Amino acid sequence: MMLPALILLAAISIIPFLYMIWMSFNTVSLFGGVSFQWAGLANWVQMFTDPDVKSSWLISLIYFVATVGVEMILGIAIALLLYEITWGKNIALSLIIIPMFIAPVIVGLLGRFMLDPTYGLYSWLFKSTHIYTHPILGEQVSAFVSVVLMDVWEWTPLITLITLAGLVSMSQEVLEAAKVDGASYLARLRHVIFPLTTSVIVVALLIRAMDAIRYFDVIWLSTAGGPADSTKIIPLRLYDEAFRFFHLGYAAAIGLGMLAFSIIVANLFLAALKRREVAG
Amino acid sequence: MSRTLRATTRQVILYILLVIVLLWILVPIVWMLLSSLKPTNAIFSSTPTFLFVPTLQHYIDVFTSGNGFSSYIVNSILASGISTLISVGLGCFAGYGLARAQFKGKDNLAFWIISTRMAPIAAVILPLYIGFRYLHLTNTLTGLIISYLTFNLPFAIWIMNAFFSDLPISLEEAARVDGAGRWQTFWDIVLPLVAPGTATTAILCLVFAWNDYSFAQTFAGPNSQTLPLSASQLITQTGIDWGQLTAIGTIVALPMVVIGLAVRRWLVKGLTLGAVK
Repeated sequence: MMLPALILLAAISIIPFLYMIWMSFNTVSLFGGVSFQWAGLANWVQMFTDPDVKSSWLISLIYFVATVGVEMILGIAIALLLYEITWGKNIALSLIIIPMFIAPVIVGLLGRFMLDPTYGLYSWLFKSTHIYTHPILGEQVSAFVSVVLMDVWEWTPLITLITLAGLVSMSQEVLEAAKVDGASYLARLRHVIFPLTTSVIVVALLIRAMDAIRYFDVIWLSTAGGPADSTKIIPLRLYDEAFRFFHLGYAAAIGLGMLAFSIIVANLFLAALKRREVAG
Repeated sequence: MSRTLRATTRQVILYILLVIVLLWILVPIVWMLLSSLKPTNAIFSSTPTFLFVPTLQHYIDVFTSGNGFSSYIVNSILASGISTLISVGLGCFAGYGLARAQFKGKDNLAFWIISTRMAPIAAVILPLYIGFRYLHLTNTLTGLIISYLTFNLPFAIWIMNAFFSDLPISLEEAARVDGAGRWQTFWDIVLPLVAPGTATTAILCLVFAWNDYSFAQTFAGPNSQTLPLSASQLITQTGIDWGQLTAIGTIVALPMVVIGLAVRRWLVKGLTLGAVK
């Protein structure tokens, strides 16, 4: 029963994976048909010494911590807010999760539209209130903050959705007991709500963590990694190396580095899943 | 009395916060919708225009500007639709097998499936690109469909497994006792019971494929361009036609928002890969 799916999956995942390992030890040329030339460890040595790749990993790391961090805090806060309100919970949640369904490429372009220095609504807002008057996507720091916030806009709703599901499934008795005992909201949050929803929040974190390195469309379409490479996260670097400079073997080595990262996240996710199953 | 007053004040503050959240979420979306309906001079003005005579001109332009927009729509529907059908079809069988079979190495199999789903897109594109060049699959819908299977097939197997695992096995055992065969049990008893799960899986597969940009940008040629590409092509050296762009943005986003919200009840399970119900 499983065989057809597994054979197909093997063909489109394991073969390309082995191929990529082979590529990373070669200089790959596309001109006049695909050709390989053995390069030994050259690509790997280059990857560990290339300052551009190093800076891209660093930018990715900051981007990762900033997006996932803000999304977690904001997403949980909004979930708690929705949990507490008495009327309109469902309609509010439906409106809040809309951004998740919008193609990242559209989110990137929409961000660019809102921040356009001449015609953008948000640019106009910042300019007329004198909060920020430079072209927002044209300066390194503000461009980086912008691409972080675009991702935050699209994916905070996912954290809210997952956390709210965890909140709703909490045992009401424990919550009521804490209320009757006169525990303040903060005390209830700390001693009842968070302990009861930790496992759900961990799942939300891991799901976001794996997607944060998977996608790069938003940055691609809004800043394309600029200005001056300040938003060039590692997938964009890989894409440039592969399809702009045609250093395909080198790009394969970078790709395997990224793959190692996602395998770590996948392991953590499976561990979290197991723990939830044990907990019931 | 003071207690109810305090509770009311608390609710008022919560609703003020909710309004702020909703503004943050909705302003860009509403602005995109409004801009797509604005006359061009109302978009290209240095102060935002709120009052205007709505026009469908940008939508008409999108379809008539000679870029073959209708064929982009057809390509998008075919590539995401066919990859979804294959993923969900095969995923149903494999997911059921995974949920019910006990065998050595099941954990390893699960790990392989989930890490395939999690693999970074840029890293997946690279070997596929070489392979597709070799097999002459660039600039074909087949190539695009195969590339969408790389993330949708493992996703469908995994999620269907989660939905099947939730069914009590006693139902199947009862059917078997009544003399139903393995296939009959699967078709007549099990499959109808997971219908909402199958629908959710199909819709999420559709959303992931429809929203793809990276694969299409790399593999698609004139014969297989999809909708998201048509949006990016409006970015030119001479400037960006924001009217048409917001119109395309609306066309790309609207159907996905509608079908996504239709399965909201099962979204959490689908999007957490079955880890949260």
